Amino acid sequence: MINSKQIALIKKDIRAVTTNKRLFSVLLIVPLVMTVFIPSIFIIIAGVVPLDSNDFQSLIATFNLEDMLDGDLREMLIKIVLNELLPLFFMMIPVMSASIMAASSFIGEKEKRTLETLLYCPLSLRQIFDAKIIASFLISQLVSLISVAAMFLVVQLEVFIILGVLIPVEISWLILLLLVSPALALTTITIIVRGSAKAKSVEESQQRSVFMVIPIVLLIVMQASGLQILSVWLLFALGVICALVGFVLLKRASANFHYESLLL
Amino acid sequence: MKAVIAENLTKIYPSGKKAVIDTSFTLEQGEVFGFLGPNGAGKTTVVKLLNGILTPTEGICRVFDTDPAANPVEVRQFSGVVTEHAQMYGDMSGLQNLIFYGTAFGLSAAESKTRGIDLLEKLELTHAENRKLDTYSTGMRQRLSLARAMIHRPKILFLDEPTSGLDPESVQSVNNMIKNLAEKEGTTIFLCTHQLRYAQEICSSYGLIANGDLLAAGDLAKLRALIFSGLIVSIKSDRCPKDIAFTKTGEMDYEIKVDSEAEIPAIIKRIVNEEGNIYNVAARRLSLEEIYFGLLDKRNAEECSGKGAKND
Ligand SMILES: Nc1ncnc2c1ncn2[C@@H]1O[C@H](COP(=O)(O)OP(=O)(O)O)[C@@H](O)[C@H]1O
Ligand SMILES: [Mg+2]
Repeated sequence: MINSKQIALIKKDIRAVTTNKRLFSVLLIVPLVMTVFIPSIFIIIAGVVPLDSNDFQSLIATFNLEDMLDGDLREMLIKIVLNELLPLFFMMIPVMSASIMAASSFIGEKEKRTLETLLYCPLSLRQIFDAKIIASFLISQLVSLISVAAMFLVVQLEVFIILGVLIPVEISWLILLLLVSPALALTTITIIVRGSAKAKSVEESQQRSVFMVIPIVLLIVMQASGLQILSVWLLFALGVICALVGFVLLKRASANFHYESLLL
Repeated sequence: MKAVIAENLTKIYPSGKKAVIDTSFTLEQGEVFGFLGPNGAGKTTVVKLLNGILTPTEGICRVFDTDPAANPVEVRQFSGVVTEHAQMYGDMSGLQNLIFYGTAFGLSAAESKTRGIDLLEKLELTHAENRKLDTYSTGMRQRLSLARAMIHRPKILFLDEPTSGLDPESVQSVNNMIKNLAEKEGTTIFLCTHQLRYAQEICSSYGLIANGDLLAAGDLAKLRALIFSGLIVSIKSDRCPKDIAFTKTGEMDYEIKVDSEAEIPAIIKRIVNEEGNIYNVAARRLSLEEIYFGLLDKRNAEECSGKGAKND
């Protein structure tokens, strides 16, 4: 399926990101803010703020916990944040990293006139296309994985220090990592790539990722306002639908990828 | 097997621009072919057609018997291309770039490195091999592009304006390399340039193109025969024999066309016998530039008379 020349291209694209300190830190900073910084603040509030303070009472109200007034309340709250709110924040990560990567990998090459050189290499357009999709995909999954690993490490450590317990992790995280995150990345990449023929700059094409970001923000708002829509089944359905949409878009995008439309 | 065959090749861009019109020519292996014409003549378009980046609107082309429109990947595996617009990665070093392109052509990383180091030395870039490409001058970039195009030992090398932006010394080293490649390794060279004088220094045959139209193709002798294959004798003298056809090019400068050197002594004797003083005599054949413009004039004249005939 993938030949050594494509692997060379994939490696080159990945190295271009990982050796570019500025780009790589941009790629990691927002995800780490979302998975480490924001949760930490939550945990500190949930773990330290006095139970009868106004802040705490409003948190309890938001998550319908008024009837649970025993000592496990703090732990319960943290559990909800970790397993029901953070997954939604986490969904932004593959979308953002995939869009940054796809834009710099496709439009970046066009902008810097390196695409023409690539076209003179013994690779078909289809092979170049596939290699670039794979590179963007792998980077986005790497960033997701790093963010989740950092999150679990920091969150569990904080909870352990404050409450002396570990929070059990739900199956939803597995679905997120193995299904939702790859599916979101795939869809985002194809959306960016489809716009790459028309886009004049990397920034312009990245803006197309709002199509993915807006639904996720809506989910977050709904969830945080106490609707509690998120379930394992919803995640699963979301992942499957998104993967299907991604595949269909991908097939159509690669059929639209022509030399002449790229160079003109 | 011919290195290149083009038959009635025509390319019309989607915009409607006719960039190449009904062009036919062939190239022998090991030749240094100069594809010559001013900017916009259609040279780059032909290079793209021969590498399967563009597909012909009409006609066919073959590179070592392979159809680039049908098998672009196969053609590119044995061809190397340098064009003005094909850039490399600015945030990678010269050597890293060569290693990447080597592996993209199917070489192993180790092979690519050995070959890259070798080429960098040949092109006098060893001192900058670990510097990022962003810090290279135009001339250095151009030479690195040459190294990039040769990394996989192509059978045919397409050089589109290879010396633009090069200083005279670099031009010399590029020329030597091109000659070496053709003579020692038998590489076929397809060289596009608008600098006709430069082409005459290194090419063994030529294609002359104007506005997408191939005016003529062949070696210098064949092209000269289309205009004038004899000699042009320039004489600086204070008199010129009346009954010999000449053109006056300066106050004391005359040009006389002869078919062979054997005719020159008689002309000189006549001037001396008529008590003329001769200050300088030089004989030369038509240059490529003169042939080009001669053919262009001829073509324009034909077109005018053709139109005239139609109007009548
Ligand atoms: N992609 C394109 N679309 C439309 N016209 C083009 C395109 N590329 C080149 N041309 C036109 O085709 C003609 C030949 O161009 P080109 O092959 O680049 O000439 P050269 O390399 O001899 O300078 C020019 O008039 C140019 O403007
Ligand atoms: Mg050109």
